[in-house]
Amino acid sequence: MRDNSASAQQLSDEELIRSLALGESSTIRHIYTSCYPTIEKMVFKMNGSLDDAYDTFQDAVTVLYEKAKANELNLTCKFSTYITAVAKHIWLKKLTKKKNQSFSILHENMEDLIGVDDDVDLFFEFENNVSKLTSCFQQIGEPCKGVLTAFYITNKSMQDIAEEFGYTNAENAKTQKYKCLNRLRKLFFNENGVTQNERAY
Amino acid sequence: MNEHTNKYEVVEKYCLGLMDDKEKIFFEIEMENNPALSNLVHEHKTLLKAFDHHNNREFISYSLDAIHKHNHSHTQVILKHLKLNVNKYWRTASVAATVAFMASTFTFLIARSVYKKDTHAQYQLLKGEINNIKKDQKAIKTEVDKVKKDVVPLPDYPSKFSGTGFAISKNGYLVTNFHVVDGYTKIFTVTDDGVGHQSEVVATDEINDIAILKIKESDFAFDGKLPYSISIRKPNLNLANRVYSLGYPKNEIVYNEGYVSSTTGFEGDTNRFQLELPSGPGVSGAPIIDETGNILGVISGKQSQTEGVTYAIKSKALLSLLKTLPKDFAINSLQDNIIKGQSRSNQISQIQRFVCMVKVYN
Repeated sequence: MRDNSASAQQLSDEELIRSLALGESSTIRHIYTSCYPTIEKMVFKMNGSLDDAYDTFQDAVTVLYEKAKANELNLTCKFSTYITAVAKHIWLKKLTKKKNQSFSILHENMEDLIGVDDDVDLFFEFENNVSKLTSCFQQIGEPCKGVLTAFYITNKSMQDIAEEFGYTNAENAKTQKYKCLNRLRKLFFNENGVTQNERAY
Repeated sequence: MNEHTNKYEVVEKYCLGLMDDKEKIFFEIEMENNPALSNLVHEHKTLLKAFDHHNNREFISYSLDAIHKHNHSHTQVILKHLKLNVNKYWRTASVAATVAFMASTFTFLIARSVYKKDTHAQYQLLKGEINNIKKDQKAIKTEVDKVKKDVVPLPDYPSKFSGTGFAISKNGYLVTNFHVVDGYTKIFTVTDDGVGHQSEVVATDEINDIAILKIKESDFAFDGKLPYSISIRKPNLNLANRVYSLGYPKNEIVYNEGYVSSTTGFEGDTNRFQLELPSGPGVSGAPIIDETGNILGVISGKQSQTEGVTYAIKSKALLSLLKTLPKDFAINSLQDNIIKGQSRSNQISQIQRFVCMVKVYN
């Protein structure tokens, strides 16, 4: 009995990862309370605002959540150390992107980044894809936007989608879905180079 | 059409790992012999991953927001409270704010004694914190004022992105880039006292990337006379002219200087000109001002390969857009220039409060 209650309070890292993969809210809360203060302080110390800190923390949790879900999160150190390293790396990358920040911090303590480069790179690649996806979504128009959102984001069944969007049956809705997906795919991979050289911000 | 649908269905089935072993082997053989198919699979996987990542991020952000909301700092809690009850309780709230301030100061003092032997960097951090407290105090005050005036407050979630805008009239007309506000209706102009003012787009020139904003509050007025001018005659846009700019690449205003390096823009664009001037995200819409205090143009972008090369829209394009504005905009106020001949730092101190941050929200 005592053991059980103790482990509820103090999850081992393995248990933590397992329940993070399931997206359990108690675990996410635990990660927030045990890791966020350190990360907030760290980002704040490295020229970030409190909002920056919270954003970075969210990014880091997302990275670990995705890895945990894919069963690829093999820790070589404590969970809290790992997430802090990920957050630090993400924030440094964001800082570099902002360019006009002082670079001195970038070279300080580089060695304490625990091999998280790949995770972070992958994260930014995904982020990049998502923003591209969002901009393509703006262009494909309705009903495609609605159909694709319903299927891929809100996870509705083809039957529900058919009803919601007024297709005679699920099969027709499916045809429509693939047509839309094809349009999205074309937009996504054939983005023309309007902004290739002159970049607006 | 049906054939196409089938193809995608098979590809999706494969990507989602829903094929049985036999089907999978056949499909993989087919992929090997058909590069177009294997490319399609690759693209489909990328898309699925993007959707997946989007969903994961939303999930985490949703879960964390719920927790984070209840864990705000004292000052933020008070701010929230004020917004709801300010009319009834603002006195009490001010007292509470003072208490919070005292508490924070106390914490600061304790923290200082604890970290006494720590490094310079940490000292700076604490200094940052105390400054933040001061800022929060100020924010509380403005918050009180704002609610009293029944003004729309800045949203309490992060902005989508931000740019720079500069005033062109005392009563709240501003210039920024079209691309800063394109597609957004929730636009706020943050004046140098940190107060956000809801603004609307009143005129745009998409081709030249200019938008004119108007602060919505009917009684809004900038403090003092517009210091700079926009020359109606041909501005002296000459090579090597020294220029400077004020913008918001971060939450604080940033000064930069440089020179005109070409009188045309990217790939010979005659509506723009080229500057050797450091710039970064957030300075879109910042004014380019020459040494006499005359606005030569508006920053719009930079060349991605070369550091320091910035492009600006010529003031000519801006002037023609200004002519379309309603009557309560007085173009005459832009003819005089009260900072000509003054020292640079004097010029800046007067211009500063007319250059604002423009934030857009979803």
